[in-house]
Amino acid sequence: MSLPTASALATRFDPGDRVRARVMNPPGHNRLPTYARGRRGVVEEVHGVFALPDEVVRGVARPRHEPVYAVSFESRELWGVDGSERSAVSLDLWESYLEAEPAPTDPVRSSPGGR
Amino acid sequence: MHGFGPVQPEEDEPPFHAVWEGRVYLMAVALMRRGLFTLDELRDAIERMPPAEYLAASYYERWLAAIERLLVEKGTLAEGELDAAVEGQRR
Repeated sequence: MSLPTASALATRFDPGDRVRARVMNPPGHNRLPTYARGRRGVVEEVHGVFALPDEVVRGVARPRHEPVYAVSFESRELWGVDGSERSAVSLDLWESYLEAEPAPTDPVRSSPGGR
Repeated sequence: MHGFGPVQPEEDEPPFHAVWEGRVYLMAVALMRRGLFTLDELRDAIERMPPAEYLAASYYERWLAAIERLLVEKGTLAEGELDAAVEGQRR
Protein backbone atom coordinates (compact mmCIF):
# COMPACT_ATOMS: atom_id res chain seq x y z
CA MET A 1 0.00 0.00 0.00
CA SER A 2 2.70 2.54 -0.85
CA LEU A 3 3.33 3.29 -4.50
CA PRO A 4 0.78 2.29 -7.13
CA THR A 5 1.38 -1.28 -8.24
CA ALA A 6 1.20 -2.54 -11.83
CA SER A 7 -2.44 -3.50 -11.32
CA ALA A 8 -3.23 0.00 -10.02
CA LEU A 9 -2.00 1.29 -13.38
CA ALA A 10 -4.86 -0.49 -15.12
CA THR A 11 -6.80 2.19 -16.94
CA ARG A 12 -10.52 2.22 -17.54
CA PHE A 13 -10.29 4.37 -20.68
CA ASP A 14 -8.10 4.44 -23.78
CA PRO A 15 -7.32 7.24 -26.23
CA GLY A 16 -10.32 7.72 -28.55
CA ASP A 17 -12.87 6.58 -25.94
CA ARG A 18 -15.97 8.71 -25.53
CA VAL A 19 -16.52 9.84 -21.94
CA ARG A 20 -18.78 12.14 -19.98
CA ALA A 21 -17.64 14.27 -17.06
CA ARG A 22 -19.62 13.41 -13.95
CA VAL A 23 -22.13 15.82 -12.49
CA MET A 24 -20.80 16.25 -8.97
CA ASN A 25 -20.68 19.01 -6.38
CA PRO A 26 -18.51 17.87 -3.47
CA PRO A 27 -17.36 20.47 -0.95
CA GLY A 28 -13.71 21.50 -1.22
CA HIS A 29 -11.10 21.38 -3.94
CA ASN A 30 -11.20 19.23 -7.06
CA ARG A 31 -9.88 19.57 -10.60
CA LEU A 32 -13.10 19.14 -12.58
CA PRO A 33 -14.26 22.57 -13.80
CA THR A 34 -17.94 23.31 -13.22
CA TYR A 35 -18.43 24.19 -16.89
CA ALA A 36 -17.38 20.68 -17.96
CA ARG A 37 -19.63 18.71 -15.58
CA GLY A 38 -22.14 16.59 -17.47
CA ARG A 39 -20.43 17.34 -20.81
CA ARG A 40 -19.21 14.79 -23.35
CA GLY A 41 -15.58 14.55 -24.44
CA VAL A 42 -13.05 12.24 -26.01
CA VAL A 43 -9.94 10.81 -24.30
CA GLU A 44 -6.83 12.13 -26.07
CA GLU A 45 -4.05 10.76 -23.93
CA VAL A 46 -3.31 8.82 -20.74
CA HIS A 47 -0.90 10.85 -18.60
CA GLY A 48 -0.18 8.18 -15.96
CA VAL A 49 -1.23 7.72 -12.35
CA PHE A 50 -1.40 10.64 -9.92
CA ALA A 51 -2.64 11.31 -6.39
CA LEU A 52 -6.21 12.63 -6.26
CA PRO A 53 -5.93 16.37 -5.43
CA ASP A 54 -9.31 16.32 -3.65
CA GLU A 55 -7.70 14.08 -1.00
CA VAL A 56 -4.21 15.63 -1.08
CA VAL A 57 -5.52 19.03 0.05
CA ARG A 58 -7.47 17.43 2.90
CA GLY A 59 -4.23 15.98 4.23
CA VAL A 60 -5.26 12.36 3.67
CA ALA A 61 -2.21 10.27 4.65
CA ARG A 62 -2.42 7.88 1.69
CA PRO A 63 -4.42 9.69 -0.97
CA ARG A 64 -6.05 7.63 -3.71
CA HIS A 65 -4.02 7.35 -6.90
CA GLU A 66 -5.87 7.31 -10.21
CA PRO A 67 -5.10 7.45 -13.92
CA VAL A 68 -5.25 10.99 -15.30
CA TYR A 69 -6.48 11.57 -18.87
CA ALA A 70 -6.31 14.48 -21.26
CA VAL A 71 -9.94 14.82 -22.36
CA SER A 72 -10.98 17.03 -25.26
CA PHE A 73 -14.35 18.83 -25.16
CA GLU A 74 -15.73 20.51 -28.29
CA SER A 75 -16.37 24.22 -27.82
CA ARG A 76 -20.08 23.85 -28.75
CA GLU A 77 -20.48 21.04 -26.20
CA LEU A 78 -19.29 23.42 -23.47
CA TRP A 79 -20.61 26.80 -24.56
CA GLY A 80 -23.60 25.89 -26.78
CA VAL A 81 -24.53 28.50 -29.40
CA ASP A 82 -21.78 30.81 -28.08
CA GLY A 83 -19.08 28.25 -28.81
CA SER A 84 -17.04 28.05 -31.98
CA GLU A 85 -16.77 25.32 -34.62
CA ARG A 86 -13.01 25.56 -34.63
CA SER A 87 -12.00 25.19 -30.99
CA ALA A 88 -11.97 22.67 -28.20
CA VAL A 89 -10.87 22.63 -24.57
CA SER A 90 -8.50 19.94 -23.31
CA LEU A 91 -8.70 19.15 -19.59
CA ASP A 92 -6.53 16.83 -17.48
CA LEU A 93 -9.07 14.80 -15.49
CA TRP A 94 -8.78 12.06 -12.86
CA GLU A 95 -10.54 8.77 -13.63
CA SER A 96 -13.23 9.12 -10.96
CA TYR A 97 -14.34 12.40 -12.61
CA LEU A 98 -15.37 10.45 -15.71
CA GLU A 99 -17.94 7.91 -16.83
CA ALA A 100 -18.17 5.95 -20.08
CA GLU A 101 -20.34 7.55 -22.76
CA PRO A 102 -22.14 5.16 -25.12
CA ALA A 103 -21.57 5.58 -28.87
CA PRO A 104 -24.15 7.87 -30.52
CA THR A 105 -27.27 5.97 -31.53
CA ASP A 106 -28.52 5.87 -35.10
CA PRO A 107 -31.15 8.66 -35.19
CA VAL A 108 -33.32 6.76 -37.70
CA ARG A 109 -33.47 3.62 -35.60
CA SER A 110 -33.89 5.32 -32.26
CA SER A 111 -36.60 7.80 -33.21
CA PRO A 112 -40.19 6.66 -32.76
CA GLY A 113 -41.60 5.43 -36.04
CA GLY A 114 -38.12 4.88 -37.46
CA ARG A 115 -37.36 1.75 -39.42
CA MET B 1 -18.64 32.62 -12.63
CA HIS B 2 -20.02 33.02 -16.12
CA GLY B 3 -21.15 35.85 -18.35
CA PHE B 4 -17.75 37.38 -19.14
CA GLY B 5 -17.75 36.11 -22.75
CA PRO B 6 -14.88 34.43 -24.59
CA VAL B 7 -11.28 34.67 -23.42
CA GLN B 8 -9.53 37.51 -25.28
CA PRO B 9 -5.92 36.42 -25.74
CA GLU B 10 -3.39 39.24 -25.46
CA GLU B 11 -1.01 39.56 -28.42
CA ASP B 12 2.61 38.66 -27.50
CA GLU B 13 1.55 38.31 -23.88
CA PRO B 14 4.59 38.42 -21.57
CA PRO B 15 4.86 35.81 -18.77
CA PHE B 16 4.63 38.62 -16.22
CA HIS B 17 3.12 42.11 -16.49
CA ALA B 18 5.16 43.52 -13.59
CA VAL B 19 8.37 42.56 -11.76
CA TRP B 20 6.46 41.73 -8.56
CA GLU B 21 4.45 39.08 -10.39
CA GLY B 22 7.65 37.20 -11.28
CA ARG B 23 8.77 37.46 -7.65
CA VAL B 24 5.48 36.01 -6.40
CA TYR B 25 5.74 33.15 -8.90
CA LEU B 26 9.33 32.37 -7.89
CA MET B 27 8.48 32.59 -4.19
CA ALA B 28 5.74 29.99 -4.68
CA VAL B 29 8.11 27.70 -6.63
CA ALA B 30 10.85 28.05 -3.99
CA LEU B 31 8.42 27.29 -1.12
CA MET B 32 7.03 24.24 -2.96
CA ARG B 33 10.56 22.95 -3.64
CA ARG B 34 11.28 23.33 0.09
CA GLY B 35 8.18 21.22 0.74
CA LEU B 36 6.21 23.88 2.59
CA PHE B 37 3.16 23.20 0.48
CA THR B 38 2.11 21.50 -2.78
CA LEU B 39 0.62 22.94 -5.98
CA ASP B 40 -2.70 21.30 -5.07
CA GLU B 41 -2.65 23.15 -1.74
CA LEU B 42 -1.86 26.43 -3.50
CA ARG B 43 -4.85 25.99 -5.83
CA ASP B 44 -7.08 25.02 -2.89
CA ALA B 45 -5.93 28.09 -0.92
CA ILE B 46 -6.82 30.34 -3.89
CA GLU B 47 -10.30 28.77 -3.99
CA ARG B 48 -10.71 29.39 -0.24
CA MET B 49 -10.20 33.16 -0.60
CA PRO B 50 -13.18 35.25 0.52
CA PRO B 51 -15.29 35.49 -2.68
CA ALA B 52 -15.27 39.31 -2.92
CA GLU B 53 -11.47 39.40 -2.49
CA TYR B 54 -11.07 36.64 -5.08
CA LEU B 55 -13.13 38.53 -7.66
CA ALA B 56 -11.29 41.82 -7.05
CA ALA B 57 -7.80 40.24 -7.22
CA SER B 58 -5.60 39.77 -10.27
CA TYR B 59 -4.06 36.38 -11.09
CA TYR B 60 -0.81 36.84 -9.16
CA GLU B 61 -2.52 38.75 -6.35
CA ARG B 62 -4.43 35.49 -5.81
CA TRP B 63 -1.16 33.55 -5.74
CA LEU B 64 0.26 35.96 -3.14
CA ALA B 65 -2.89 35.76 -1.00
CA ALA B 66 -2.72 31.95 -1.15
CA ILE B 67 1.00 31.87 -0.20
CA GLU B 68 0.35 34.14 2.81
CA ARG B 69 -2.66 32.06 3.88
CA LEU B 70 -0.77 28.75 3.64
CA LEU B 71 2.29 30.04 5.54
CA VAL B 72 0.06 31.20 8.40
CA GLU B 73 -2.03 27.99 8.40
CA LYS B 74 1.10 25.86 8.48
CA GLY B 75 2.65 27.93 11.26
CA THR B 76 5.63 29.26 9.27
CA LEU B 77 4.33 32.78 9.85
CA ALA B 78 2.45 33.96 12.92
CA GLU B 79 -0.91 35.66 12.38
CA GLY B 80 -0.15 39.35 11.79
CA GLU B 81 3.62 38.78 11.46
CA LEU B 82 3.64 39.82 7.82
CA ASP B 83 1.61 42.98 8.47
CA ALA B 84 4.03 43.92 11.28
CA ALA B 85 7.04 43.37 9.01
CA VAL B 86 5.50 45.52 6.26
CA GLU B 87 4.73 48.20 8.84
CA GLY B 88 8.36 48.03 10.01
CA GLN B 89 9.59 48.58 6.44
CA ARG B 90 7.48 51.72 6.15
CA ARG B 91 9.01 53.40 9.21
